[in-house]
Amino acid sequence: MAYDAPMEAATPVAELRSVSKSFGSVMAARDLNLAIGQGEFLSFLGPSGCGKTTALRMLAGFETPTEGEVRIAGDVVNDQPSFQRPVNMVFQSYALFPHLTVAQNIAYGLQQKRPRPGRADIKARVAEALETVRLEGFQDRRIWEMSGGQQQRVALARAIVNRPRLLLLDEPLAALDRKLRKEMQIELQDLQRSLGITFVLVTHDQEEALSLSDRICVMRNGEIVQIGSPQELYDRPATRYVADFVGTSNFFEGRIASKDGARARLGLEGGQVLSGSCGPGLNVGDRACMSLRPERILLRSEAGDAGHPVTVQNRIFLGEHTEYLVTSETLGQVIVFAPRQTEQEGLGYNKGDTAWITWRDDAARILLSEQ
Amino acid sequence: MRIYAACVYLFLYTPIAIIALFSFNAGRHASQLQGFSVQWYGRALNNPFVMEALENSLVVAFTSATLASIIGTMAAVGLHSVRGPVRAVFDAIIYIAIMIPGIVIGIATLIALVTVFDVINPWIAAIWPRVEAAPQFSMGRGSIIAAHTMFTMALVVVIVRARLSSIEGALMEASADLYAPPWATFRRITLPLIAPAIFAGFLLAFTFSFDDFIIAFFVAGSETTLPIYIFSSIRRGVTPEINAIGTMVMVVSLVLLIVAQLILRSSDRKKSRK
Ligand SMILES: Nc1ncnc2c1ncn2[C@@H]1O[C@H](COP(=O)(O)OP(=O)(O)OP(=O)(O)O)[C@@H](O)[C@H]1O
Ligand SMILES: [Mg+2]
Repeated sequence: MAYDAPMEAATPVAELRSVSKSFGSVMAARDLNLAIGQGEFLSFLGPSGCGKTTALRMLAGFETPTEGEVRIAGDVVNDQPSFQRPVNMVFQSYALFPHLTVAQNIAYGLQQKRPRPGRADIKARVAEALETVRLEGFQDRRIWEMSGGQQQRVALARAIVNRPRLLLLDEPLAALDRKLRKEMQIELQDLQRSLGITFVLVTHDQEEALSLSDRICVMRNGEIVQIGSPQELYDRPATRYVADFVGTSNFFEGRIASKDGARARLGLEGGQVLSGSCGPGLNVGDRACMSLRPERILLRSEAGDAGHPVTVQNRIFLGEHTEYLVTSETLGQVIVFAPRQTEQEGLGYNKGDTAWITWRDDAARILLSEQ
Repeated sequence: MRIYAACVYLFLYTPIAIIALFSFNAGRHASQLQGFSVQWYGRALNNPFVMEALENSLVVAFTSATLASIIGTMAAVGLHSVRGPVRAVFDAIIYIAIMIPGIVIGIATLIALVTVFDVINPWIAAIWPRVEAAPQFSMGRGSIIAAHTMFTMALVVVIVRARLSSIEGALMEASADLYAPPWATFRRITLPLIAPAIFAGFLLAFTFSFDDFIIAFFVAGSETTLPIYIFSSIRRGVTPEINAIGTMVMVVSLVLLIVAQLILRSSDRKKSRK
């Protein structure tokens, strides 16, 4: 399967090299550098207005970079109009042609392609695409006779029928309700694996990015903050921003007290010293913070060796886990996720209880504080 | 308040109702009813002068509406891709063109055409091999068509523009994304989506041209269109025949206007059903 191929093949399917884009005085994208490998599922993740759509539109050919190079299959395509690029896009609004039937919508790209495939070939490929998105029998329907989820499938079929080098998806699932979105996420992933097409997805839903992508490109204010696999981003975020945006985290502010290779010690305001792993770019004396994922904290009824005493402030039962809000004199407010298993051991805590929190050393990550 | 409203409607529609009523008058006087008859319709349709005027009117209306639809659509599509102050200026010019009174357009067109003809005609005569056979521009069907095209084009531009701006911009991008060069996108996406608006614009332009008296009166030269015929006949007194012609013109215009409205409405509804 193409999916198993190495990520960084000889020539990337698409590349951004020092790409910037400004609209008047607004810098929508700043010095983007990125190589997308064959068969990869890459996501752009970031809050609204961070430039995700702009990056995607430069790959599609709807925007021309102000600076830098966009390459597809090794060729610089800055000046190539979108109709000449071997790239297809699924629009957030679907952008299905209202005056054409489902089948005509799907056949559109093949009919415009040069050299144009034969009639019988087009028909067969449209039928195949309909089958892929499980819409057999809907070919003669009008677009406005289809539900939101069905329209989304048509939009997907209209793009994949062309077998593009690169499929761009701009928040394709944002308009669907939660349940349908989950289903479509699974379908998207299956589709990507079975077709072997390179997918680039734009989303501001971190869960979606984490569950679907091979790699995630986290953006902020037009810049790429970090690129990595979901687990890398989650376990070894480069900055506090990434740790905050990808998943939930507790942050303890302080200054770097000492540093030894990939480990550092952070001195908190109250004089307490915490240690954890750290990335490059940190020096002794820098303002930094420690990021600690709530599910990696253990809540215990006795102190143990390195426990921090806390008072339980609030308890929220969330089904598969219970969320505790506790306060510590040295650390301030801390969120702890206790999985069901610990609950069952009869260790449920109530508001006002005193307890101790501990964590394994490798759970703590020391990061540069920004702003 | 209700009485007041009723009076307004009465005031608006009584004259029209009377014309329609008297067109079915069996007697020959326009002032007293003498039983029901459709003879005046027959008379009107057999009157060679009426038929000639009708033919003129139809040719003028059809030609000018066709030209206005084509030119107006091109202008609307062109304007749609222009942004900023240039677009605002052109929009303003289009709206002003619609609001200018017909009499001003009539006089202005007349003066413009006469001036142009005065320059061109001697010039053509000079280069033509045989002077006496040289074609000469003069007022006639052509000048009415030109004047009507100019005016009704503005109507088409406004209607088509409204439709264009209601089309989602992502559709054009989707088409380009699916390998369609700009011309193919226009032919396969834009044109089908604005077709109802173009047709509605055509019908409005046709109706306007068919009904117009003021502009045509100035630039018709020796030609007679139906409204001009009615006007000149009235000077000889209102006959039931004139009432019959007026009623027919009114019915045709109303039908066309209603059809235009229905087309615009139904294409909007289909779109919003999504
Ligand atoms: N055509 C444009 N003209 C002017 N400014 C633009 C244009 N397109 C985008 N921008 C600006 O560029 C910035 C990035 O926009 P972009 O659409 O890429 O954000 P996004 O990350 O996709 O956000 P969202 O999640 O809301 O879709 C924004 O500040 C936006 O206002
Ligand atoms: Mg966006």
